[in-house]
Amino acid sequence: MSNSMMYVNEMVEEASAHDRPERKRRLGILFWICVGWLALNVLAAIFANVLPLQDPLFQNYVSINAGPSLHHLFGTDDLGRDIFSRVVFGSRVSIEVSSGAMVIGFGVGAPLGMLAAYRRGKFDAILSSVMYVFLAFPAIIATIAVLSFWTPRSLFKIIVVIGIASIPVVYRVIRSAAMTIATKDYVVAAKVQGATDRRILMKELLPNVAPIGISFLLIGIATVVTLEGALAFLGLSVNPPTPSWGNMINESLAILQTNPWLAIFPSLAMCLFLLCLNFIGDRLRAHYDVSDGKL
Amino acid sequence: MLIVIVFIITVGAFYLIHLLPGDPAVVILGTGASPVNRAKLYAQFGLNKPILEQYFVWIRNVVHGNLGTSFITQTSVWSTVRAALPIDVEIIVLSQILAFAVAIPTAMRSARKPDGWLDRILSAGSFTLLSIPSFVIIVLLVLFVAIKLGVPHTGVSSYVSLSSDWITNLESLTLPAFTLAVGSYVVYYRVLRSDLIATLQEEFITMARSKGISQRRIMWRHAFRPSSVALLGTAGVNIGGLLASGFIVQYLLSIPGLGYTLITSIGQSDYLVVQGIVLVVSVGVILINFAFDFIINIVDPRISRE
Amino acid sequence: MSQEQKLLVVKDLATTFHTPSGPLAAVGGVSFDLNQNETLGIVGESGAGKTVLLRTIMGLQPRTNVDVSGSVLLDGFEVVGASEKAKRSIWGLEVAMVFQDPMTSLNPVMRIGKQIDEILRVRLGMDRRAAKARALELLELVGIPSPAVRYNVFPGELSGGMRQRVVIATALAGSPKLLMADEPTTGLDVTIQAQILNLLEELKEQMKMSVVLVTHDLGVVATRTSQIIVMYAGRIVEMGSTREVFAHHRMPYTRALLEGSPKVSNPSHTRLLAIPGRPPNLLNLPKGCSFAPRCSFATDRCRQERPELENANAPGHTFACWNPLPVTQSVSA
Repeated sequence: MSNSMMYVNEMVEEASAHDRPERKRRLGILFWICVGWLALNVLAAIFANVLPLQDPLFQNYVSINAGPSLHHLFGTDDLGRDIFSRVVFGSRVSIEVSSGAMVIGFGVGAPLGMLAAYRRGKFDAILSSVMYVFLAFPAIIATIAVLSFWTPRSLFKIIVVIGIASIPVVYRVIRSAAMTIATKDYVVAAKVQGATDRRILMKELLPNVAPIGISFLLIGIATVVTLEGALAFLGLSVNPPTPSWGNMINESLAILQTNPWLAIFPSLAMCLFLLCLNFIGDRLRAHYDVSDGKL
Repeated sequence: MLIVIVFIITVGAFYLIHLLPGDPAVVILGTGASPVNRAKLYAQFGLNKPILEQYFVWIRNVVHGNLGTSFITQTSVWSTVRAALPIDVEIIVLSQILAFAVAIPTAMRSARKPDGWLDRILSAGSFTLLSIPSFVIIVLLVLFVAIKLGVPHTGVSSYVSLSSDWITNLESLTLPAFTLAVGSYVVYYRVLRSDLIATLQEEFITMARSKGISQRRIMWRHAFRPSSVALLGTAGVNIGGLLASGFIVQYLLSIPGLGYTLITSIGQSDYLVVQGIVLVVSVGVILINFAFDFIINIVDPRISRE
Repeated sequence: MSQEQKLLVVKDLATTFHTPSGPLAAVGGVSFDLNQNETLGIVGESGAGKTVLLRTIMGLQPRTNVDVSGSVLLDGFEVVGASEKAKRSIWGLEVAMVFQDPMTSLNPVMRIGKQIDEILRVRLGMDRRAAKARALELLELVGIPSPAVRYNVFPGELSGGMRQRVVIATALAGSPKLLMADEPTTGLDVTIQAQILNLLEELKEQMKMSVVLVTHDLGVVATRTSQIIVMYAGRIVEMGSTREVFAHHRMPYTRALLEGSPKVSNPSHTRLLAIPGRPPNLLNLPKGCSFAPRCSFATDRCRQERPELENANAPGHTFACWNPLPVTQSVSA
């Protein structure tokens, strides 16, 4: 609670510095459960075609709005389509959009952020103020606006729009992370000893920025999954009948009272997916001791 | 800075029209449009002039409050926006009051004994809520609470404005405000908690303690204000996200705010209304952000000094 | 000397922190007492447990993961084991603290007037006007020019020396009988240091307080204290009247400290003798004398058995050492 705890911490640090090996905090069992769940989701999405799943588009008019059963694990929707298989196929959209957008966001934002932190000076000043302007932009509104005008909509366009919108955010996080490392003695020392810029960036900066980048990447993916869900909800994501978690929930609204399963299962799938991402991201961040403020 | 950003927003909003495939006039008005409407649209955007001039023609109109006339409803875009805007403002204000009213005391509680049982419960709860998107919250609320309890939750026609019948109005906005409040609460709680914990480690808190004043006074008078900078910053940024979540909630509950209007307009390809809403909302968000920056400078004199 | 005159009686005080790496004995076996209107100096290297000792005496230690045993009688009030609520009644009014670093000990977002007022209004029940008048007096007393203006500024607008004066004014607001000054000049310029120390001395006379002055600089305590405690690794290794300790110290550590402090009488460029080695690991203290590993006089006994405090020739002068320095040795202080 109070400040004398800090003296104690200093004492403990000093004390443990010379004779005890530093204790590595464990990530915990929950962390690995989350990793497992995410891996399962991703594998299911990749191999959805070869898995023994029912056709997500096949309309079985004999069983409409059926509850969960052995034959239809999650039940069926108002067109008699199997909800389980639609949830599995629906994860494809979320995973494709989020990973695609993050490839663009990190592909552009991360190198620029590292360069700006390393180079400083004019390069950093100009780039940062440009990014600041775009950061001030209400990105969600801009995304909605562009997607509603840029017709016909496709997965590719959604990825591009969200990816571009994420560049300034990634840039800011990576730049501030790299900044604290770029000013450390060993980087300065490497510079003085005449190491090439390329070498310093790859050997000194990258490995140290990576943990922060990875934990932010996971949180970024979670954000994009949510955003794609919201867009699907507004009818701005992939067109039906292709299933996505967002548009399944959207379709469920009209028949919420007759068939709540159609809303519950995709919601559950999405929330679990997000929970795991957030949890892993949070744990990694704590593990590498990155303060909340940087994200 | 503000001017630069607003300028870029107007350019962006203007350029939206040109994202439409083909001749915007044809897309907006359809192939069988009347010459009168065509003339109106051309006047609005100066479509036959060079692009730079088009922008100036359009921006002059916008500055004069002329966002064009919807070719679908034949009403002025500005009046549509003006009718819907107060609903969004009301929902957001209500939700923020709710979110802060719960986030501040719970964060204070948590921070007093970090890792105590109450903090663990609150933190785990907030973490779970963090992973539930607002559109899922609203669906679940409608599914499990509103339908069962008979809370009024839907209907454009049944919507009553604040000035005509405030009780019915508040009733119908309870659900959307609550939904937005949940999302905001999680963020505010987490930000304030972690800042409070950091602040409580500060020497000046020990000094306040050494004066023999109560724990309560230490929390509110000494710890709260220096811990609220990130909270305010987050709140400012959060407003943009709130608008978007608000859109979904309105659409779902058929509350005729900007979001509902926006989505129906997208569905009807009523591009001028979409453009108008995007412009007004973007500028609004920017202004709110700057307002929050301003408040932060007042709350923490350290920042303006740097 | 009867118990009545003692403002502070500390017996067998020990503070142990429970850390993830095991118990950490920050302070152990500390006993001493302090008369009214007296100034006690506590010296030792950083990490010797001076700050923790001071806070434990006041009862200001963290509320969790810490054990305190022994007894602290502060003007008849038993601090050890008292509830936070009970301790609040003495904090500010009986005992107050001047914190080490004026850059961090003032609330950065509270006007300094309010920080001085607080104790007057909350603890003494003064109304706004009376509190402000008193706060202005205090600002004047600690030598802050144009107090009426300074009353309304934030700490960030003041220099370090000015801030430390504000900290002192805040500590004095409740007219405490005992003032704890925890290295009050560490972060300040040398010229300002002397000013602040002189100010404390004047105020002590003026307000009839007792003062505990913690420092790592023996030079600071030489002229300003009547008693000295030398601490090493959380324990008292030598104590006595200032004059006695300076003239006839017996503990090699005290000598090392004395030789390590710069003196005006020395020609410039005299080499300062740093004490070789580093303070011991408090998580894992050596079995015998804590100073033995760094001591040139250490014998096997020093490494095996811990020396207790024993009397020196002069009354009240005690030291803990198996191989004390000869009585006659003296370093000109």
